[in-house]
Amino acid sequence: MSFLQSLKNNVRQRSIHVCYVNVGSCNGCDIEILACLAPRYDIEQYGIYVHNNPREADILLITGAFCEQWEDKLADLWDKIPEPKAAVTIGNCPVSGCVFNRRGSFVDPPVSKHIPVTASIPGCPPRPTEILSTILSVASELFKDYEDK
Amino acid sequence: MFSIFCYLREFLRPEWWKKFLFVKTAPLVTPPHYRDFPVLTGNECSHELRCMMICPAPGAIEVLKNAEGKWEPVIYKGHCIRCGLCVEACPDNVLTSGDILSVNEKEKTYFLASYHLNVDDSICMRCGNCSVACPVNKEVDPQLAYTATSSSNEVIMRIKNSKLTIIHPEKCTGCKTCEEACPNHAITVARVLEGFQDED
Ligand code: SF4
Ligand code: SF4
Ligand code: SF4
Ligand code: SF4
Repeated sequence: MSFLQSLKNNVRQRSIHVCYVNVGSCNGCDIEILACLAPRYDIEQYGIYVHNNPREADILLITGAFCEQWEDKLADLWDKIPEPKAAVTIGNCPVSGCVFNRRGSFVDPPVSKHIPVTASIPGCPPRPTEILSTILSVASELFKDYEDK
Repeated sequence: MFSIFCYLREFLRPEWWKKFLFVKTAPLVTPPHYRDFPVLTGNECSHELRCMMICPAPGAIEVLKNAEGKWEPVIYKGHCIRCGLCVEACPDNVLTSGDILSVNEKEKTYFLASYHLNVDDSICMRCGNCSVACPVNKEVDPQLAYTATSSSNEVIMRIKNSKLTIIHPEKCTGCKTCEEACPNHAITVARVLEGFQDED
Protein backbone atom coordinates (compact mmCIF):
# COMPACT_ATOMS: atom_id res chain seq x y z
CA MET A 1 0.00 0.00 0.00
CA SER A 2 1.35 3.36 -0.94
CA PHE A 3 2.10 5.90 1.70
CA LEU A 4 -0.54 8.18 0.26
CA GLN A 5 -3.19 5.49 0.52
CA SER A 6 -2.38 4.71 4.12
CA LEU A 7 -2.48 8.41 4.92
CA LYS A 8 -5.89 8.66 3.26
CA ASN A 9 -7.18 5.67 5.19
CA ASN A 10 -5.95 7.11 8.42
CA VAL A 11 -7.40 10.53 7.87
CA ARG A 12 -10.74 9.27 6.61
CA GLN A 13 -11.25 7.08 9.62
CA ARG A 14 -10.79 10.03 11.87
CA SER A 15 -13.07 12.34 9.97
CA ILE A 16 -16.50 10.85 9.60
CA HIS A 17 -19.33 13.21 8.92
CA VAL A 18 -22.78 12.04 9.87
CA CYS A 19 -26.15 13.43 8.96
CA TYR A 20 -29.23 12.21 10.76
CA VAL A 21 -32.78 12.00 9.69
CA ASN A 22 -35.89 11.16 11.64
CA VAL A 23 -38.41 9.28 9.51
CA GLY A 24 -41.03 9.06 12.21
CA SER A 25 -39.57 8.06 15.55
CA CYS A 26 -40.78 8.74 19.06
CA ASN A 27 -37.68 10.94 19.59
CA GLY A 28 -36.12 8.43 22.00
CA CYS A 29 -33.42 7.44 19.55
CA ASP A 30 -32.82 11.08 18.58
CA ILE A 31 -32.18 11.88 22.20
CA GLU A 32 -29.60 9.08 22.33
CA ILE A 33 -27.86 10.69 19.35
CA LEU A 34 -27.94 13.93 21.28
CA ALA A 35 -26.33 12.13 24.23
CA CYS A 36 -23.52 11.08 21.86
CA LEU A 37 -22.83 14.75 21.21
CA ALA A 38 -22.82 15.73 24.87
CA PRO A 39 -19.56 15.79 26.90
CA ARG A 40 -20.07 12.38 28.47
CA TYR A 41 -19.65 10.53 25.18
CA ASP A 42 -18.33 13.43 23.09
CA ILE A 43 -18.64 12.03 19.58
CA GLU A 44 -15.96 14.37 18.22
CA GLN A 45 -13.15 12.73 20.17
CA TYR A 46 -13.71 9.69 17.97
CA GLY A 47 -13.46 11.79 14.85
CA ILE A 48 -17.17 11.80 14.13
CA TYR A 49 -18.76 15.12 13.28
CA VAL A 50 -22.43 15.91 12.99
CA HIS A 51 -23.05 17.87 9.88
CA ASN A 52 -26.69 17.97 9.00
CA ASN A 53 -26.18 18.37 5.31
CA PRO A 54 -26.46 15.26 3.16
CA ARG A 55 -24.11 16.66 0.51
CA GLU A 56 -21.26 16.68 3.03
CA ALA A 57 -22.12 13.50 4.86
CA ASP A 58 -20.43 10.10 4.83
CA ILE A 59 -22.90 8.29 7.02
CA LEU A 60 -26.63 8.74 7.22
CA LEU A 61 -28.18 7.86 10.57
CA ILE A 62 -31.83 6.97 10.32
CA THR A 63 -34.26 6.84 13.22
CA GLY A 64 -37.94 6.06 13.05
CA ALA A 65 -40.41 3.63 11.61
CA PHE A 66 -40.71 5.20 8.14
CA CYS A 67 -43.91 7.18 7.84
CA GLU A 68 -45.62 7.35 4.49
CA GLN A 69 -44.55 10.93 3.80
CA TRP A 70 -40.93 9.77 3.51
CA GLU A 71 -41.64 7.49 0.58
CA ASP A 72 -40.01 9.80 -2.00
CA LYS A 73 -38.00 12.05 0.32
CA LEU A 74 -35.62 9.53 1.88
CA ALA A 75 -34.45 8.13 -1.48
CA ASP A 76 -33.83 11.71 -2.68
CA LEU A 77 -31.81 12.45 0.43
CA TRP A 78 -29.81 9.25 -0.01
CA ASP A 79 -28.98 10.18 -3.63
CA LYS A 80 -27.57 13.53 -2.49
CA ILE A 81 -24.89 11.92 -0.31
CA PRO A 82 -21.60 11.55 -2.20
CA GLU A 83 -19.79 8.20 -2.38
CA PRO A 84 -18.45 6.53 -0.26
CA LYS A 85 -21.56 6.46 1.91
CA ALA A 86 -23.41 4.22 4.30
CA ALA A 87 -26.78 4.23 5.97
CA VAL A 88 -26.99 3.12 9.59
CA THR A 89 -30.39 2.69 11.19
CA ILE A 90 -30.81 3.41 14.88
CA GLY A 91 -33.27 1.60 17.10
CA ASN A 92 -35.93 -1.01 16.60
CA CYS A 93 -38.17 1.28 14.60
CA PRO A 94 -36.31 1.14 11.27
CA VAL A 95 -36.00 -2.65 11.66
CA SER A 96 -39.46 -3.70 12.74
CA GLY A 97 -41.52 -0.60 13.37
CA CYS A 98 -41.19 -1.34 17.09
CA VAL A 99 -44.24 -0.25 19.07
CA PHE A 100 -45.71 1.65 16.12
CA ASN A 101 -46.08 -1.42 13.93
CA ARG A 102 -49.68 -2.21 14.80
CA ARG A 103 -52.77 -2.68 12.76
CA GLY A 104 -54.02 0.65 11.45
CA SER A 105 -50.75 2.57 11.82
CA PHE A 106 -49.24 4.37 8.87
CA VAL A 107 -45.68 3.11 9.00
CA ASP A 108 -43.81 1.09 6.42
CA PRO A 109 -40.78 -0.59 8.00
CA PRO A 110 -38.15 -1.86 7.46
CA VAL A 111 -36.17 1.07 6.14
CA SER A 112 -33.89 -1.34 4.23
CA LYS A 113 -36.83 -1.78 1.85
CA HIS A 114 -36.41 1.82 0.73
CA ILE A 115 -32.66 2.49 0.72
CA PRO A 116 -29.65 0.16 1.16
CA VAL A 117 -28.79 -0.12 4.85
CA THR A 118 -25.29 -1.11 5.93
CA ALA A 119 -25.87 -1.66 9.62
CA SER A 120 -28.75 -1.64 12.07
CA ILE A 121 -28.45 -0.94 15.77
CA PRO A 122 -31.28 -2.66 17.66
CA GLY A 123 -32.61 -1.41 20.97
CA CYS A 124 -35.37 0.91 22.02
CA PRO A 125 -33.40 3.11 22.16
CA PRO A 126 -29.83 1.82 21.77
CA ARG A 127 -27.12 3.06 24.11
CA PRO A 128 -24.86 5.88 22.90
CA THR A 129 -21.92 3.46 23.19
CA GLU A 130 -23.66 1.09 20.79
CA ILE A 131 -24.25 3.90 18.32
CA LEU A 132 -20.64 5.04 18.55
CA SER A 133 -19.06 1.63 18.20
CA THR A 134 -21.27 0.80 15.22
CA ILE A 135 -20.38 4.00 13.39
CA LEU A 136 -16.70 3.39 14.06
CA SER A 137 -16.76 -0.21 12.87
CA VAL A 138 -18.78 0.64 9.75
CA ALA A 139 -16.53 3.56 8.88
CA SER A 140 -13.29 1.63 9.15
CA GLU A 141 -14.63 -1.03 6.78
CA LEU A 142 -16.21 1.40 4.38
CA PHE A 143 -13.48 3.97 3.88
CA LYS A 144 -10.48 1.65 3.93
CA ASP A 145 -8.85 1.54 0.48
CA TYR A 146 -11.94 3.11 -1.04
CA GLU A 147 -10.09 3.93 -4.30
CA ASP A 148 -9.43 0.23 -4.94
CA LYS A 149 -13.07 -0.74 -4.58
CA MET B 1 6.41 38.80 26.47
CA PHE B 2 6.07 36.57 29.49
CA SER B 3 2.94 34.94 28.11
CA ILE B 4 4.71 34.01 24.86
CA PHE B 5 7.38 32.38 26.92
CA CYS B 6 4.76 30.46 28.84
CA TYR B 7 3.13 29.25 25.62
CA LEU B 8 6.42 28.12 24.19
CA ARG B 9 7.29 26.29 27.38
CA GLU B 10 3.92 24.56 27.31
CA PHE B 11 4.19 23.43 23.69
CA LEU B 12 7.78 22.28 23.93
CA ARG B 13 6.94 19.66 26.50
CA PRO B 14 7.26 16.15 25.02
CA GLU B 15 4.20 15.16 27.08
CA TRP B 16 2.08 17.69 25.19
CA TRP B 17 3.25 16.44 21.81
CA LYS B 18 2.59 12.85 22.81
CA LYS B 19 -0.95 13.71 23.85
CA PHE B 20 -1.51 15.75 20.72
CA LEU B 21 -0.33 13.13 18.26
CA PHE B 22 -1.41 9.91 19.94
CA VAL B 23 -4.72 10.70 21.55
CA LYS B 24 -6.36 7.84 23.35
CA THR B 25 -10.10 7.93 23.63
CA ALA B 26 -11.87 6.48 26.62
CA PRO B 27 -13.07 2.93 26.01
CA LEU B 28 -16.77 2.47 25.37
CA VAL B 29 -17.97 0.57 28.42
CA THR B 30 -21.36 -0.72 29.42
CA PRO B 31 -22.09 -0.68 33.16
CA PRO B 32 -22.94 -4.11 34.65
CA HIS B 33 -26.36 -2.94 35.84
CA TYR B 34 -27.41 -2.07 32.31
CA ARG B 35 -30.43 -4.03 31.09
CA ASP B 36 -29.27 -5.38 27.77
CA PHE B 37 -31.17 -7.91 25.68
CA PRO B 38 -32.12 -10.76 28.04
CA VAL B 39 -29.84 -13.78 27.87
CA LEU B 40 -30.33 -17.37 29.02
CA THR B 41 -29.13 -18.35 32.48
CA GLY B 42 -29.14 -22.08 31.75
CA ASN B 43 -32.14 -22.88 33.98
CA GLU B 44 -34.67 -25.14 32.38
CA CYS B 45 -37.74 -23.52 30.85
CA SER B 46 -40.98 -25.11 32.08
CA HIS B 47 -42.96 -23.72 29.14
CA GLU B 48 -45.30 -21.55 31.17
CA LEU B 49 -45.06 -18.87 28.49
CA ARG B 50 -45.28 -16.00 30.99
CA CYS B 51 -42.58 -14.18 29.06
CA MET B 52 -44.65 -14.24 25.89
CA MET B 53 -47.68 -13.24 27.90
CA ILE B 54 -46.14 -10.14 29.40
CA CYS B 55 -43.96 -8.95 26.51
CA PRO B 56 -45.25 -5.56 25.30
CA ALA B 57 -43.36 -5.54 21.99
CA PRO B 58 -44.90 -7.35 19.03
CA GLY B 59 -42.80 -10.29 17.86
CA ALA B 60 -40.02 -9.84 20.42
CA ILE B 61 -40.01 -13.20 22.17
CA GLU B 62 -40.98 -16.74 21.32
CA VAL B 63 -40.55 -19.98 23.24
CA LEU B 64 -39.21 -22.54 20.80
CA LYS B 65 -37.68 -26.00 21.02
CA ASN B 66 -33.91 -25.91 20.77
CA ALA B 67 -31.68 -28.47 19.07
CA GLU B 68 -31.93 -30.77 22.09
CA GLY B 69 -35.73 -30.67 22.04
CA LYS B 70 -35.96 -28.49 25.17
CA TRP B 71 -38.09 -25.37 25.41
CA GLU B 72 -36.12 -22.16 25.29
CA PRO B 73 -37.11 -18.51 24.89
CA VAL B 74 -35.71 -16.80 21.81
CA ILE B 75 -35.44 -13.01 21.73
CA TYR B 76 -35.52 -11.11 18.48
CA LYS B 77 -33.31 -8.05 18.39
CA GLY B 78 -34.92 -5.26 16.46
CA HIS B 79 -38.22 -6.12 18.13
CA CYS B 80 -37.28 -6.40 21.82
CA ILE B 81 -37.39 -3.05 23.63
CA ARG B 82 -35.27 -4.33 26.57
CA CYS B 83 -37.96 -3.61 29.14
CA GLY B 84 -36.91 -6.66 31.16
CA LEU B 85 -40.47 -7.73 31.96
CA CYS B 86 -39.88 -11.25 30.62
CA VAL B 87 -36.97 -11.64 33.03
CA GLU B 88 -39.18 -10.60 35.95
CA ALA B 89 -42.18 -12.66 34.95
CA CYS B 90 -40.37 -15.96 34.42
CA PRO B 91 -40.98 -18.25 37.45
CA ASP B 92 -37.83 -20.31 36.76
CA ASN B 93 -35.36 -17.44 36.20
CA VAL B 94 -34.54 -18.73 32.73
CA LEU B 95 -33.62 -15.27 31.49
CA THR B 96 -31.41 -12.61 32.97
CA SER B 97 -30.54 -9.04 32.13
CA GLY B 98 -28.56 -6.52 34.11
CA ASP B 99 -29.38 -6.52 37.82
CA ILE B 100 -33.08 -7.38 37.49
CA LEU B 101 -32.87 -10.79 39.16
CA SER B 102 -30.76 -9.59 42.08
CA VAL B 103 -33.02 -6.56 42.64
CA ASN B 104 -36.09 -8.82 42.55
CA GLU B 105 -34.50 -11.09 45.10
CA LYS B 106 -33.58 -8.20 47.35
CA GLU B 107 -36.95 -6.49 47.19
CA LYS B 108 -38.94 -9.74 47.13
CA THR B 109 -41.02 -8.71 44.14
CA TYR B 110 -42.60 -11.23 41.81
CA PHE B 111 -45.41 -11.70 39.36
CA LEU B 112 -48.21 -14.20 39.83
CA ALA B 113 -50.27 -15.41 36.92
CA SER B 114 -53.89 -16.48 36.98
CA TYR B 115 -56.09 -17.69 34.15
CA HIS B 116 -59.77 -17.21 33.58
CA LEU B 117 -61.80 -19.43 31.31
CA ASN B 118 -64.85 -18.06 29.63
CA VAL B 119 -67.30 -19.98 27.46
CA ASP B 120 -69.86 -18.32 25.29
CA ASP B 121 -72.76 -20.73 25.62
CA SER B 122 -74.61 -19.22 22.69
CA ILE B 123 -71.95 -20.31 20.19
CA CYS B 124 -70.55 -23.37 21.97
CA MET B 125 -71.89 -26.49 20.20
CA ARG B 126 -70.88 -28.86 23.03
CA CYS B 127 -68.50 -30.86 20.87
CA GLY B 128 -66.03 -31.25 23.72
CA ASN B 129 -62.98 -30.59 21.51
CA CYS B 130 -61.58 -28.20 24.08
CA SER B 131 -61.70 -30.63 26.98
CA VAL B 132 -60.13 -33.37 24.83
CA ALA B 133 -57.36 -31.07 23.61
CA CYS B 134 -56.49 -29.66 27.03
CA PRO B 135 -53.15 -31.17 28.12
CA VAL B 136 -54.04 -30.82 31.81
CA ASN B 137 -57.27 -32.77 31.33
CA LYS B 138 -55.38 -35.57 29.61
CA GLU B 139 -53.03 -35.85 32.53
CA VAL B 140 -55.79 -35.80 35.14
CA ASP B 141 -57.96 -38.33 33.35
CA PRO B 142 -56.02 -40.63 31.01
CA GLN B 143 -59.27 -42.14 29.86
CA LEU B 144 -59.96 -38.85 28.10
CA ALA B 145 -56.90 -39.19 25.95
CA TYR B 146 -57.85 -42.68 24.74
CA THR B 147 -61.59 -42.54 24.43
CA ALA B 148 -62.26 -38.80 24.13
CA THR B 149 -64.92 -39.07 26.82
CA SER B 150 -64.61 -38.38 30.47
CA SER B 151 -66.73 -38.86 33.53
CA SER B 152 -64.17 -37.59 35.99
CA ASN B 153 -64.93 -34.57 38.10
CA GLU B 154 -61.25 -33.72 38.48
CA VAL B 155 -60.80 -32.30 34.97
CA ILE B 156 -60.78 -28.58 34.22
CA MET B 157 -63.85 -28.69 32.04
CA ARG B 158 -66.02 -31.27 30.30
CA ILE B 159 -69.44 -31.68 28.81
CA LYS B 160 -71.72 -32.26 31.77
CA ASN B 161 -75.49 -32.12 31.75
CA SER B 162 -75.26 -31.40 27.98
CA LYS B 163 -73.34 -28.18 28.64
CA LEU B 164 -69.66 -27.36 28.71
CA THR B 165 -69.09 -27.05 32.44
CA ILE B 166 -65.95 -25.61 33.97
CA ILE B 167 -65.23 -27.66 37.06
CA HIS B 168 -61.69 -26.80 38.15
CA PRO B 169 -60.60 -23.50 36.59
CA GLU B 170 -57.70 -23.26 39.08
CA LYS B 171 -55.89 -26.14 37.34
CA CYS B 172 -55.61 -24.27 34.07
CA THR B 173 -52.04 -23.39 33.02
CA GLY B 174 -53.06 -20.82 30.45
CA CYS B 175 -51.68 -22.68 27.43
CA LYS B 176 -54.62 -21.65 25.20
CA THR B 177 -54.73 -25.05 23.49
CA CYS B 178 -58.48 -25.14 24.05
CA GLU B 179 -58.89 -21.80 22.29
CA GLU B 180 -57.13 -23.17 19.24
CA ALA B 181 -59.06 -26.46 19.33
CA CYS B 182 -62.48 -24.84 19.46
CA PRO B 183 -64.04 -24.70 15.98
CA ASN B 184 -66.40 -21.90 16.99
CA HIS B 185 -64.06 -19.69 19.03
CA ALA B 186 -66.47 -20.15 21.88
CA ILE B 187 -63.91 -20.64 24.65
CA THR B 188 -61.48 -17.89 25.57
CA VAL B 189 -58.66 -17.84 28.09
CA ALA B 190 -57.77 -14.58 29.79
CA ARG B 191 -54.25 -14.53 31.21
CA VAL B 192 -53.81 -12.10 34.07
CA LEU B 193 -50.45 -11.27 35.56
CA GLU B 194 -50.27 -9.39 38.88
CA GLY B 195 -47.25 -7.95 40.62
CA PHE B 196 -46.66 -8.65 44.31
CA GLN B 197 -44.13 -7.77 46.98
CA ASP B 198 -43.51 -9.68 50.19
CA GLU B 199 -43.34 -7.41 53.23
CA ASP B 200 -41.49 -8.44 56.33
S1 SF4 C 1 -36.76 2.36 18.61
FE1 SF4 C 1 -37.90 2.90 20.45
S2 SF4 C 1 -36.86 4.75 21.22
FE2 SF4 C 1 -36.22 4.47 19.09
S3 SF4 C 1 -37.67 5.71 17.92
FE3 SF4 C 1 -38.49 3.63 17.98
S4 SF4 C 1 -39.91 3.61 19.71
FE4 SF4 C 1 -38.59 5.42 19.94
S1 SF4 D 1 -37.21 -7.50 27.43
FE1 SF4 D 1 -39.34 -6.77 27.19
S2 SF4 D 1 -39.58 -6.46 24.98
FE2 SF4 D 1 -37.74 -7.74 25.25
S3 SF4 D 1 -38.51 -9.83 25.05
FE3 SF4 D 1 -38.50 -9.33 27.25
S4 SF4 D 1 -40.60 -8.59 27.67
FE4 SF4 D 1 -40.31 -8.53 25.42
S1 SF4 E 1 -55.75 -22.93 28.56
FE1 SF4 E 1 -54.72 -24.91 28.36
S2 SF4 E 1 -54.78 -25.75 30.45
FE2 SF4 E 1 -56.27 -24.08 30.40
S3 SF4 E 1 -58.21 -25.08 29.92
FE3 SF4 E 1 -57.33 -24.37 27.96
S4 SF4 E 1 -56.20 -26.15 27.21
FE4 SF4 E 1 -56.59 -26.51 29.37
S1 SF4 F 1 -64.51 -26.76 21.60
FE1 SF4 F 1 -65.69 -24.88 21.55
S2 SF4 F 1 -67.69 -25.52 20.78
FE2 SF4 F 1 -66.63 -27.37 21.42
S3 SF4 F 1 -67.32 -27.69 23.53
FE3 SF4 F 1 -65.38 -26.51 23.64
S4 SF4 F 1 -66.07 -24.37 23.71
FE4 SF4 F 1 -67.82 -25.58 23.00
